[in-house]
Amino acid sequence: MSRIGVFVCHCGENIGRTVDAAEVARASGNLPGVAHATDYKYMCSDPGQALIKQAVAEKKLDGVVVAACSPHMHEKTFRRATAGAGVNPFLCEMANIREHCSWIHENRPAATAKAIDITRSIVEKLKRNAPLEPIRIPVERRALVIGGGIAGIQAALDIADGGREVVLVEKGPSIGGHMSQLSETFPTLDCSQCILTPRMVEVYQHPRIKLLAYSEVEAVEGYIGNFNVTIRRKARGLDETKCNGCGQCQASCPQKKIPSEFDAGLGKRTAIYVPFPQAVPNIPVIDSGHCARWKGIVKGLKKFACGKCIEACGRGAITFDLEDKIVTEKVGAVVVATGFQLYEIGRDHEADGLKGYGEYGYGRIPDVIDGLQFERLASASGPTAGKLQRPSDGKEPRTIVFLQCVGSRDPAKGIEYCSKICCMYVAKHTMLYRHKVHDGRAVVFYMDIRAGGKGYEEFVRRAIEEDGAEYVRGRVSRLERDGDVVRVQGFDTLSGEPVTIDADLVVLATAMRSQPGIEALAQKLSVSYDRHGFINEAHPKLRPVETNTAGIYVAGACQAPRDIPDSVAMASAAASKVLGLFSNAELEREPNVARVDEATCAGCFHCRRVCAYGAVERKEIRDKKGNLVKVVASVNRGVCQGCGTCQATCPGKSVELEGFTDPQIYAAINAFQG
Amino acid sequence: MSEATTSTETTAGTFEPRIQAFVCNWCTYTGADLAGTSRIPMAPNVRIIRLPCTGRIDTLFILKAFERGADGVIVSGCHPNDCHYAAGNFHARRRFAVFRELIDFLGLDPDRITFSWVSASEGKKWSEIVNDTTERIRRMGPFSAYRGLAGRTP
Amino acid sequence: MKELQDLAAKLLAEKTVGLVIGWEQGPRGARPAFVADPKDAGRLIFDNRCVHNLAAYLSPRRPHLRGFGRIAVAVKGCDVRAVAGLVRESQLKREDVVLLGVRCGGVHDEPTDAGPLTAENLADRCVGCEVREPPRCDHVLGELPPAPPSRDGRRAGRIAELDALDHAARFAFWRQELSRCVRCNACRQVCPLCTCERCLADKTDPPWIESSPHTRANFAWHATRALHLAGRCVDCGECERACPAGIPLNLIGRKVAAVVERRFGYRTTDDPQVPAPIGAWKPDDGQEFIR
Repeated sequence: MSRIGVFVCHCGENIGRTVDAAEVARASGNLPGVAHATDYKYMCSDPGQALIKQAVAEKKLDGVVVAACSPHMHEKTFRRATAGAGVNPFLCEMANIREHCSWIHENRPAATAKAIDITRSIVEKLKRNAPLEPIRIPVERRALVIGGGIAGIQAALDIADGGREVVLVEKGPSIGGHMSQLSETFPTLDCSQCILTPRMVEVYQHPRIKLLAYSEVEAVEGYIGNFNVTIRRKARGLDETKCNGCGQCQASCPQKKIPSEFDAGLGKRTAIYVPFPQAVPNIPVIDSGHCARWKGIVKGLKKFACGKCIEACGRGAITFDLEDKIVTEKVGAVVVATGFQLYEIGRDHEADGLKGYGEYGYGRIPDVIDGLQFERLASASGPTAGKLQRPSDGKEPRTIVFLQCVGSRDPAKGIEYCSKICCMYVAKHTMLYRHKVHDGRAVVFYMDIRAGGKGYEEFVRRAIEEDGAEYVRGRVSRLERDGDVVRVQGFDTLSGEPVTIDADLVVLATAMRSQPGIEALAQKLSVSYDRHGFINEAHPKLRPVETNTAGIYVAGACQAPRDIPDSVAMASAAASKVLGLFSNAELEREPNVARVDEATCAGCFHCRRVCAYGAVERKEIRDKKGNLVKVVASVNRGVCQGCGTCQATCPGKSVELEGFTDPQIYAAINAFQG
Repeated sequence: MSEATTSTETTAGTFEPRIQAFVCNWCTYTGADLAGTSRIPMAPNVRIIRLPCTGRIDTLFILKAFERGADGVIVSGCHPNDCHYAAGNFHARRRFAVFRELIDFLGLDPDRITFSWVSASEGKKWSEIVNDTTERIRRMGPFSAYRGLAGRTP
Repeated sequence: MKELQDLAAKLLAEKTVGLVIGWEQGPRGARPAFVADPKDAGRLIFDNRCVHNLAAYLSPRRPHLRGFGRIAVAVKGCDVRAVAGLVRESQLKREDVVLLGVRCGGVHDEPTDAGPLTAENLADRCVGCEVREPPRCDHVLGELPPAPPSRDGRRAGRIAELDALDHAARFAFWRQELSRCVRCNACRQVCPLCTCERCLADKTDPPWIESSPHTRANFAWHATRALHLAGRCVDCGECERACPAGIPLNLIGRKVAAVVERRFGYRTTDDPQVPAPIGAWKPDDGQEFIR
């Protein structure tokens, strides 16, 4: 580059007061390679930009340096002007002589000298700039949504309503997630299924949503705009195209005593079953662990004890085809909405380093249940048809004690974070209970009440003031079965007195945890997760639904404990990001990405280890006969985000980051210090 | 270069250090912008080179700056967990940790270099880093010992 | 020794390998030997003068050895770390090489030294050896010799002395030492982990490392080389042995290794599955030097 133009801005008085702009222009004009240098009152104004365009045309300039404000302020402006003058926009650089000079210095000669230095360094850098073209990536305008809970449903519907196809993958036999198990929802007490099931049906009937229930993501390859997803469609043991969901098979199944997952173990189901009546799709699945015939087939038996469902099915849909099917889908974006699990108090969490709560007797004392079980007891569609009956003897509980923060906010035995939803759902539980049992006693042990949210604080007040819930601030040390009751031994930290309550039922508000297996999924997707297994967002404030991998978004409780409104808001936000990405058939990206010099790359792959985005791939170099000559690193320009960590790491300097290459930085250092 | 506008000796005879800063685009460069927007005065001795990320800052840059006449160097980027690129600053931290102890062992005073985390909101901290480093290097004197190893007069 | 010669002859005769790299008697002590003909296997020796880390010949930067197909190489226990380094960094496929591990009770500093090992003449890296029995080898040969004589590590002591000096004195020391470097690149050539296809120091655009062998360029070169070997250096000391100017390069390598171990809890290992510490990070890595 030999005909550089330097344009020095006065920024009114902002630069001009402390920096002699004319002097900067004069000094820069003497630099080798600078063909034109001038100063002007406001370079960013229309006449200022016109000045640049005119100079480029008249003096045949091949590069532009604008010495003015921060590039964060006007780099786009001046690159556009440069492009408008017919010069590649990446051959325009800004020298920051305002924020980094005139505004922070008062001594005019010193500030002017520094401004000349800054401009010279940028001129020298610019000489090594290469013309760059924006990276264009074709975008497959279909989305994959992983998880069919409320977040996944919302994301899928929003994307599909926005005109794009969606593949919705759900691990379980039906979509609906945890929300379908809830009785009523806070703070409005509207029936959860009443608001959810229409949305589930909408998913099923939507012409642009392809629902793959009872399926799991096996592998994800590719990058933003171009993901190839391998999905395992788990064998249901029947032909989904023939089944009309009549339920005859379920009625005929002799295995009737299997604890129902949907009813959180409080109800029973059959071996061939639809998890709940409103399931979508309304197609049964055969439970391989309990079906006698399935077990027989796996064992290789010739004769089977049972075939009742086959006989019962009028459509010949039950095939006992046990082969999983692998399907592939090409998508341009992925929304991860895999939700949460509850801290299973009764299970040994040794592997997770959680000590558990043996003193609460969960799993041992039948009348100690968790919040989700209470939801099922309270639900009209639950095992008791909404009648509050305790599990041990079916008696209506006269006193229920609710314990908050079981597992949450407890670094010693549980998890240090707050699970966020428990304060609200416990208040809801007390209300549901008091609405059903008017003279019953609902006692809540709490640490603090966290009711931040629209109408939330009012809701808790209502539980206390109108529905008579008794809130005791303190922890419970022990739950013991004593004859007919569960003895609750706690401590009221406000009165300083120990408290003992004989309860008919105790409900533990257990912590929300990430889904088991989320780490494996996150690794398939190359997205990062925190030590609790929650997916990391790209930026906690400004990019809350993006992940560190471009084209992969996150919604709902797989990112952190979330309630329904938050999950839905995140899902809609993720959907709008996806639709934004899909608004063009091609994605245009800044070309400041890394490039490997294959001739000198030794293939040590240090670069691959430091890449946070999985942008470095292995590339085989072969000779004409097809013999492998060597394996080198290769940067996927669609995935690289341009941090340059690979370049600083490469011992042989065989990677260059466009826009910040070694020759550019070297020249800039030399110009400053040389 | 044709015009050496920064000289190690001013007319008054006091030593004015030349300090080269390498900063990341997202946090420290923006923090330095904020210092400007807030009109926080600071010493005029520092020259900034903008990189996308501290992960891009090679220790070769630092050695080269000293070779070419810098008396001090500032390396600054995003605080841990704030990296725009997720982990660039963590990689840089390991690299600089080893580098610093290595040059110390070779007899180069690591106090010639300030490593810092300056976020986009820490304009004030940036001015302090600039002023403190300038003062410290001023006390330490010119780094002609290293520059002069080439056998030429610095 | 006979066991090594017989095995080498067998591997070559069976065409399991096309080349055996070991040691032989040269005009001035032990030296590397390259045996392609089973008849020559009798040249191979192993004794306490076989100081050379032959893993250096496994680097893909030795294309002249590529035509031999699979290579068998004799390695002492400590040399296996270098092989692991090459495997770890995709420079070598473990199945492409047959490792002939030789049980070793310590070596001299130089291949020209002779006589039984004493606390005085033992190579510094052999002090406190934990790998007399070579790990992860395809064949392990020889009798397990007694542990080498015990004494304090000289280099560790020297590093402690240098650490105790002030900057000016340390600078004076290294200025004196590094002024002798003529940039012959023997240190780079002999290093089993210097596997770059084109060394940074040979790059001219930009010339990060000045090419003239003056002291300033030598500082930059040796500092950069040590950094590139941080967490990778296997402490074979070959760079120092190869240095015609007698610069104590191993002091730098050992110092960096100590820093890496103290900061990141990592020691160079013979397990290629264990990832190196540079290129990894922990959220709580020390940052006492960062404001």
